[in-house]
Amino acid sequence: MKKYVKYISAIAVALLFVMPLSAFFSANNYGAYAIKFPYAAAGLSKQQAAAHLLSRFTYGATPGQIDEVANEGLEKWFAAQLDAKLPDDSLNQMLKAYDAMELSNAEVVEQYPKNGQVLRRAVKDGALNKDSVKTDRKQYRDALADYMEKNGLKPERELFRQFINQKVMRAAYTNNQLQEVMTSFWFNHFNVSITKGNCAQFVPAYERDVIRPNALGSFGDMLLATAQAPAMLYYLDNFSSTGEKAPGMTNQRPKRMSADTTMMATPPKKKKAGGLNENYAREVMELHTLGVDGGYTQKDVTEAARILTGWTIYPLGQYNAQAKNAVTKLNDQQLERRGFVHEGDFLFAANKHDGGTKTVLGKQFKTNGYQEGVDLLGMLANHPSTAKFISRKLAVRFVSDNPPQTLVDKMAKTFLASKGNIKQVLITMVNAPEFWAKDAVREKTKSPFELAIGSVRGLDATVTQPYQLYNWINKMGEKVYYYQAPTGFPDKGQFWINTGSLLSRMNFGLALTSGRIPGVKVNLKALNNNHEPESAKAALATYCKLILPERDPAATIKRLTPLLNDPQLVEKVNNASAKVAPKTTDAITGADSTIRRETKKQNRAAMQANNNSAMLAQVAGIIIGSPEYQRR
Amino acid sequence: MLTRRGFLKAGGLSLFGVGLMGGIPAFIAEAAASEKRSRLYKGKKTLVCIFQRGAMDGLMAVTPFTDEYLKKARPSLFMSAAKNGGNGALIDLDGHFGLHPAMRGFERAFRDKQLAIVHGIGSPNTTRSHFDAQDYMESGTPFSKSTSSGWLNRAAGLLGHDAATPFTAVSLTSAMPRSFYGDNPALAISSLQDFAIQMRGNPAGANLAAKSFEDLYDQTASGLLQQTGRESFEAVKMLQKTDVKNYKPANGVNYPNSALGNSLKQIAQLIKMNVGLEIAFAESNGWDTHFNQGTANGVFARNVTDLSESIMAFWHDLGTLQDDVVVMSMTEFGRTVHENGTGGTDHGRASCNFILGNDVAGGKVHGKLDMLAVENLEDGRDLAVTTDFRSVFSEVVDKHLLLKNDKILFPDWKGRGIGVMNA
Repeated sequence: MKKYVKYISAIAVALLFVMPLSAFFSANNYGAYAIKFPYAAAGLSKQQAAAHLLSRFTYGATPGQIDEVANEGLEKWFAAQLDAKLPDDSLNQMLKAYDAMELSNAEVVEQYPKNGQVLRRAVKDGALNKDSVKTDRKQYRDALADYMEKNGLKPERELFRQFINQKVMRAAYTNNQLQEVMTSFWFNHFNVSITKGNCAQFVPAYERDVIRPNALGSFGDMLLATAQAPAMLYYLDNFSSTGEKAPGMTNQRPKRMSADTTMMATPPKKKKAGGLNENYAREVMELHTLGVDGGYTQKDVTEAARILTGWTIYPLGQYNAQAKNAVTKLNDQQLERRGFVHEGDFLFAANKHDGGTKTVLGKQFKTNGYQEGVDLLGMLANHPSTAKFISRKLAVRFVSDNPPQTLVDKMAKTFLASKGNIKQVLITMVNAPEFWAKDAVREKTKSPFELAIGSVRGLDATVTQPYQLYNWINKMGEKVYYYQAPTGFPDKGQFWINTGSLLSRMNFGLALTSGRIPGVKVNLKALNNNHEPESAKAALATYCKLILPERDPAATIKRLTPLLNDPQLVEKVNNASAKVAPKTTDAITGADSTIRRETKKQNRAAMQANNNSAMLAQVAGIIIGSPEYQRR
Repeated sequence: MLTRRGFLKAGGLSLFGVGLMGGIPAFIAEAAASEKRSRLYKGKKTLVCIFQRGAMDGLMAVTPFTDEYLKKARPSLFMSAAKNGGNGALIDLDGHFGLHPAMRGFERAFRDKQLAIVHGIGSPNTTRSHFDAQDYMESGTPFSKSTSSGWLNRAAGLLGHDAATPFTAVSLTSAMPRSFYGDNPALAISSLQDFAIQMRGNPAGANLAAKSFEDLYDQTASGLLQQTGRESFEAVKMLQKTDVKNYKPANGVNYPNSALGNSLKQIAQLIKMNVGLEIAFAESNGWDTHFNQGTANGVFARNVTDLSESIMAFWHDLGTLQDDVVVMSMTEFGRTVHENGTGGTDHGRASCNFILGNDVAGGKVHGKLDMLAVENLEDGRDLAVTTDFRSVFSEVVDKHLLLKNDKILFPDWKGRGIGVMNA
C-alpha cells in the first residue's frame, strides 16, 4: 500500500515537470475540489494535522477519529465533508422524535400559536370569559389548557424546545459535521433571535430552510434567502417598511390610486398606514455584507431601505388576517400581473413599494419593482468589501481570533473570483500555509456550545435529554438562538472566558463525567476498552491521552499527581461520593436473612465499584474543565 | 498585579488549603484576611453603571412637552403633561420637561434633588449602528476602533490602589461587557450563587477539584485562561463567607423580577458585604423600538417601568449606604425625532441619561435642548448631541471615585464637566 502511494506521488512529481498547471491540480482532485494541505511544511505530523483539521471543522473528534482521518487521508475526509452527503441514518431516527421540525411556517402558526393569539381565539370562541380570567388564575389556566387540547394547539415554548433539542442532537451525532458547523456559523452571521416576539416562531424553519441548505453553497443565494425569510423580515422589521411614494396599481385599479393620493395629502390616520423602516437595510450592509468599514453612508442606507420597501411576508395562517383577505383572494397570476411576487412565505407587495429612482453606492436603480431588491442584494453579495468582510469572519472562526491578513486576502480573492462560492473560499483557506501554522493550532477558545458538544462526542456519551446540555451551555454564557443583537455572538476567546463562565465550565466537566447531567450518559470505562485503571494516577495518564489526544499531557499530569497521590484525600472523595451515589440494588424489605446478606454483599461490591468510578469521574471531569481542554 | 497576588497569598486566603489540609481554622484566616482587606481598600465609593442596550428614545423618556415641533413630528407617540391627561399624562418636572408616566418612581428622587437628568447627551461620532455606537461609548474613544480596553476597565486601573479584591469591578452579566475589556482585573457573573466549584453532597470531591483546577489554571500557558482562572478562584474564596442564597433586601424592598432587578439586587449584596466593590455594571435590554413603541402603555412603558423601579428598589435597599453610591445610566444613541411609519422610531443621535446619588446635582434637567425645528436637528432628522457623553462620564467618576486622569480614561478628549455633580 505504502509502495503504491509512493509510486503515485512519483508520477505526480514527474507530471509536474511536463504538464501544465491544471494537470497538476487534477492530481489532487477530490471530487470537484482541488485540495492539497501543506501541513507537513508547517511541521505538523499527519496525526497532528488530522487533530487540527477535526478541531476546526467538527464539534470535536470522536474516540479514534483522528487515526481514522489520518488513515483515510485528510484531503479525502475534507472533500466528503464539503459534499455533506454522508449517511446519517441513526441521527435521522433520533430526529423523528421532534415532529414539529417538519412543519411549515403556516403550520407552526396554526399549531404553536403565541400565548396572546391563543387567548384571543379562546375568548372569541367563547371558551374563556375575559373578565373571569383576572379573578381566578387557576381556573383560567385550566380552561385555557383545556381549550388548547381540544383544538390541537400546543404552547410555543414546546416548539423552541424541540428546535433546541434537535440542534444539540445534530451537532453531537451528524456525520456531516462541517455542514452543521457552517450552519451555526451562518446562523450567527445572519442572526435572528427567539427573544424577539414576532420573529420567534419562524426561527426553526429559518435555520432548516434558509441557512442549512445554503451553508456550503453560494453566499449570494443565502443572502437573498435570508432577506425573504419571515424570521429575518420580522427580526429586522423590513416586513413593515413601505414606500412614501408607492405607485399604487395605476392601470388595474384607478380607484386605489386616488385613495393613495388622498393619503399623501393628509397625515395617515391609522397606525399601520405604512412608512420607511431602515433597520434591515442598515444591518444588511453593516453586518451581513460590506462590514461597518465597507464604504457606505447614511444616504446609502436610506436608499437601500427604499429599494426594499414592500419586501414582506405572505399572510400565514390566521396571522395578519386583514392582509390575508387583500392578497389571498388573488391567485398568483393575478398577483404577478400587478407586480407582486409570491414565493413560499415571501411576498413582494408592489403596492407598498417606493416607486422612485434610488442610488446606492453610486449605482442607480431605476424603477423596477421586485427586481431592484434582487439586484441590490446581488451587488452587495459580490462587492469587494463583502469578500473581505466574510473572508475575515471565516478566518476568525476557523483559524484564529487574529488571522493573518495574507490569508484573508487570498480568501477574498477566491470569494470574488468564484462569486461567493463558500466551498471554494474554505478550500483556499485550508490550502493555505497560514491555516496550519503553529500559532494557529489550538489558538481558538471553545465556545460553550463547542465545549459541551465536543465533550459529548469525545467521551462518546449517550444523550437522551439534549435540553439538559443546553441548560449548561446557557449557563456557560451561550444561550444559542437567544442572542438579541443582530451582530450574533462575538467569535473570540475574550468574549467567552470570564471569571464566572470559567467556573461554570469546570463545574460542567465535573457534572458531565459524574453522571449528574440527567439524560446524558457517559461510560468512562467503555472509553478505555473496559479496562479499569489501577490508581487515580494511572487514570490521569490514561484519560489525558483519551480526552486530549495529540497533545502533551505532561504539564497536566505533573500538576495533578501530588494531589491524587494523597490517600487520605482520595478516600474522603470516595466516601462522600458513595453516600450520595444512587443505590445500584433496590432495597429489599423481606425477612429472609440470606437475601439480606446477599444484598449486603452486593451493596459492598457496588460501593467499591462506585468508589473507583467516582475517582475516575473526578479525574475525567478535571480534564474536561482544565485549561487545555478549553482550547481547540 | 503582583501586589494583589502577593496580598492574597500573604493574607492566608487560601481557604481550600485550609479546609483540606486541616491547618489554621478558617475563621482565623478569614479574620486576618478581612482586616488586611479593609486596610487596602482606600476607596469606599461605588459607581453603578447601567447600559440600556438598543438606544433609548430620550425624547419619550424625558419629553420637552412644550415643543410644538415634537408634537407635530410624533402624532401618535407624543404625550402631554396636561393634568386632564389622566394616567397617560407626563410628570411635569419643570414646566418644560416631562418624565414618562411609567417612571413615577423617579419623581421623588428628582424632587429630593438626588436624581439628575442630562438631555441631549450622546457621542460626537455620528454612527447610527448599535454595534459601533456601543463599541465607541464603551471603549470611550468615539473615533478609534482599535482601542482594545473599555473605559470602566481603565477607570478601575486609576483607582489609586492595587485592586486588593477580585470584586473591584463587577459586571452582573453572563458575558464580559465591552466597557470592562482590558488588563485590569474585572469580573463578570450572572449569579453570585454559581460562584463555587460544585459537587452536590461531596464537599471533599469539590475541594479536590477546586484545588486541581486552581493549580492547572495557575500554570497554563494561555494568558487569557491563566489570568481569568486566577481571578475566578480569588472571587470564589471571598464569596464563601456569606450566605448569598438567602439575601433579604432592607426596608421591605421588592426588586422587580427582571434581569436588571436581579443584577441590581446582587450589586446591593456585594456593596453590603464590603468586598471592595467600586465599579459595578448591569444591562437593560429591549430599547430598539422600531415598531409599536407605545405611549403610556406598551413596550417602551414596560422598559422604563423596569428601569425606574429596579433602580429605586436598589436605592432604598442601600439605606444608609446611599452616600457611597452613584448610579448612572447610558445608552448608545437616541432615536429619530419623527416617528416612523410603524409606530416606532428609528436610530437617531442624542438621548438622555439618569444619574442618582447624594453628591449629584439633582432635581435638574442638565444639558441643552434646542427647539426641535428642522434647522436645529442633526442631519435634519435627529435630536442634536449637545453634551459629549465623556464630559458627563468623566465628571461622575472624577467626583465620585476621585479619579483624576482623564487622559487615560478618555484619551482624545479635552472637554470639561457640565456640573452634574455637586462641587
